[in-house]
This record gives sequence, C-alpha cells and structure tokens, in this order.
Amino acid sequence: MNAANPNALIIAPGNHVPVPLSESEQIAQLKKTLLKDIQRSAYVYRVDCGGCNGCEIEIFAAITPIFDAERFGIKVVASPRHADILLFTGAVTRAMRMPALRAYQAAPDPKICISYGACGCGGGIFHDLYCVWGGTDKILPVDVYIPGCPPTPPATIYGFALALGLLGQKLKANHHQEGESELAQPRWPDMPLDLRVQLEREARRMAGYLYGRQIADKYMSLLDLKSPQEFNARIREYLKQEDDPRLTEIFTRLNDISAAVLG
Amino acid sequence: MFKLFKTILKAGEATTKYPFAPFPVSPGFRGKPELDPTQCISCGACTIACPANALSMGTDAQAGTRTWELFLGRCIFCGRCEEVCPTHALALTPEFELAVGRREDLFQRATFKLEPCAECGQPFASHKEVDYALALLVQSGLPAEEAEAQRTHLATCPACKRKQNLADPSKVALGPYINKGML
Repeated sequence: MNAANPNALIIAPGNHVPVPLSESEQIAQLKKTLLKDIQRSAYVYRVDCGGCNGCEIEIFAAITPIFDAERFGIKVVASPRHADILLFTGAVTRAMRMPALRAYQAAPDPKICISYGACGCGGGIFHDLYCVWGGTDKILPVDVYIPGCPPTPPATIYGFALALGLLGQKLKANHHQEGESELAQPRWPDMPLDLRVQLEREARRMAGYLYGRQIADKYMSLLDLKSPQEFNARIREYLKQEDDPRLTEIFTRLNDISAAVLG
Repeated sequence: MFKLFKTILKAGEATTKYPFAPFPVSPGFRGKPELDPTQCISCGACTIACPANALSMGTDAQAGTRTWELFLGRCIFCGRCEEVCPTHALALTPEFELAVGRREDLFQRATFKLEPCAECGQPFASHKEVDYALALLVQSGLPAEEAEAQRTHLATCPACKRKQNLADPSKVALGPYINKGML
C-alpha cells in the first residue's frame, strides 16, 4: 500500500467486515480552509449506491424553480471529476460498492461527502439485508448525514447549507434519564376505560390512525358526562362549524357508542 | 417586451424563501418522532412496530434499566410508532431540519428504571409500566385502595406468578372472567 496516499489501493473487505476509506489529515485541513471562506459555487455529483430512486426524485425537486438550489450556486453535474460535493444515496449494495468508491476517488480533493436518505445514513429498511453494506459510512468518510425517507427538498437544501458551513446544526444527541416519581398519566382519567377504548377504536376504524386519533380526542374533549343536553348542543355547533359530512358520520357513530356504554 | 414583464409581474415569485425564512410544512407532515419521556412506559410496542428497526429497546438487567433508542438515520418517518403508542408518548413533529455532521447526533435515547419482581427480585418490566397498569385499573372502576392492594400481584414476574398459582390455586385472579360470564 502506498503510504503517501492510503486511498490509492482500495482495501478488499475481509470476512464481510467493511473497511471504510480514510481521509488524510492534510486533506481535512484543506477542506477546513476552503469551507472557512467559500466564495464559489459548489457542484454536486449524485452517486446512486443502490437506492430506490426516491432520493433522486427529491434531489431533482430541490433544483427545480420552486426550491431552486442553484441560487446558492449548487449545481448537479454529470461527472465526479467536476464535483465538490458527492451525494451518496442508497444502502450501498455489494454491486455498487466499487462504483461508489471509484466515484469517490475520481472526485478532486477537497471533496465533501454527504450521506443522503435513510438508506445512506444507516441502511434504512434494508440495513440487515445480506446484499448491502448498510450505509455510506461503512465504505467512505462521511461529512454530513441527511436523514429522511426521502429527505424533502427543504431538508436537502438545509443539508447542503450545513455541509458548506452556512447554517448551524439543530439536532443534538439526547439522552433522557428517568427522574424520581415520574408517572405516565392515563388519558382522559375521568372517562370510563371501556368507553375511551371503544371510541378510539371506532374513530380509528373509520378515519385511519392519524385522523381517527384526532377525531376521537376532539370528541372526548367535547364529551361532558354530566349534562348530555349541553354536550349535544356543543357537538352540533362544532359539526356545523366544520361542515364535513364525513366528520358528522363519524361523530354520529361515536355518539351511538357512548350512548350504549353510558346507558 | 413590456407584455413579458407584465406577465412576469403577474405570475409573482414561485421560489420559496426557505433558508432565509421558515418553511411552512403541510398539515399532517411526518417529521422527526419526538418522545415525551414522562409519558413513556417503555412497553416496547414502537420497537416492534418499527419497520426499519430505527427504534430499539435494550435491557440492562445488572443496572436495572431499560433504554429506548431512536436512530434517526434509519427512521423512514412512517408514523407506525405513533400509531401503536398506548400512552400517546411518541408523536411525529413537523421538524425536518435533521441533517447532522456527526453520526452520534442522530441517536435519541431515554433510560427507564426496571421493577424487580416481588418474589425473585429479577427485573421484568419497567417501574412506570406497573404504575400505569394500576392507574388503568383505577380508571376502569376499581377503588384506589383495592388497586393498590394488587400492586404485589402486578409486580410479580410471569414465571413467579405461574409458580404461585401451582402452589396455591386460590391466588389465581379469576374475578374479571367470572363477572363477564366467560367461565
């Protein structure tokens, strides 16, 4: 192996344990100097390491006029030889490892490597497949991770800005330790458990988990066990305000349930 | 020429102001899953539902703790964890600015204490889960003192419960089944 350039020879993975390439200190220094005062465009080359193409679609959405990454000088180019930023998408399948490494070596130093999407960051849903390496950082040094499946165009632009040192990082590692006398509260403690469960189930059956949960929560917040007349008036007013026949239908069914349970 | 300028003026600017102004996400946008650790009972339902294994739960029996872990790099933002969470502790937020420079920053963790079994002393469930089961009993109509009397029974691990039942059949709690006429 060439000592001056450790990446001259790509180390073959032994025993199915990937050995990521490393970046020499000199190049890391060069990159820091460049990013301190970057006064030119950054060209992006997109390396597909076996993704589903969802990430590619979002990358191209990011350079459309709506999001227009080109106003910051970010341009997608067709060759790694022109690239400043390499964008690795996909979970790095066995077949795409060598092409990805060749693209990495073809790009001139200093280059910024970005792991794009859930597959690039940690293998995504393919992380334990027999035929993938499970993430770009298993084969290459990565500078920025952009999670998402796929990351939306604004998330992509944010990732580019982070890579170029224009914006700060928002997400931090977080470790919560359980405090003394920490208690999980049951929801709607005044309501009979049977009623709550049945209402939530019916609302979810009718409207799906997300909207069902919202509708059940709204219903239970309006529910007044003491005065049914007042409750009925409140519901009628709410439904009139929403003016949605689907919501009215679901609320009618929820009303039937609470009438049956409460008697 | 002026007609063109007029058309341009009328069309306005379609490009978002995003990095300089906050990006308005659509309602129902699925962003970063956020755990409310006080509400979490570490039941592990989310870790079973997670299709990408981004959520995991590790038990350290020696230290008597259980750690919930979310690896955002693997999360596909499907919302199944939110769907199955029984206490509504986990919810997806509209937060999308998740890019990081260090891989470690993609990990979100929460550590909970385990409840030792009242019989054998081996930890078997989290302390909050037992408390939550008691709270549910109270919510379903059991008087608070009676529910508290059942704490030892609830804080016994399944293996010890089985042994107890073999030795003394009168300890089997059949009440709910008898009431519902299931026996």
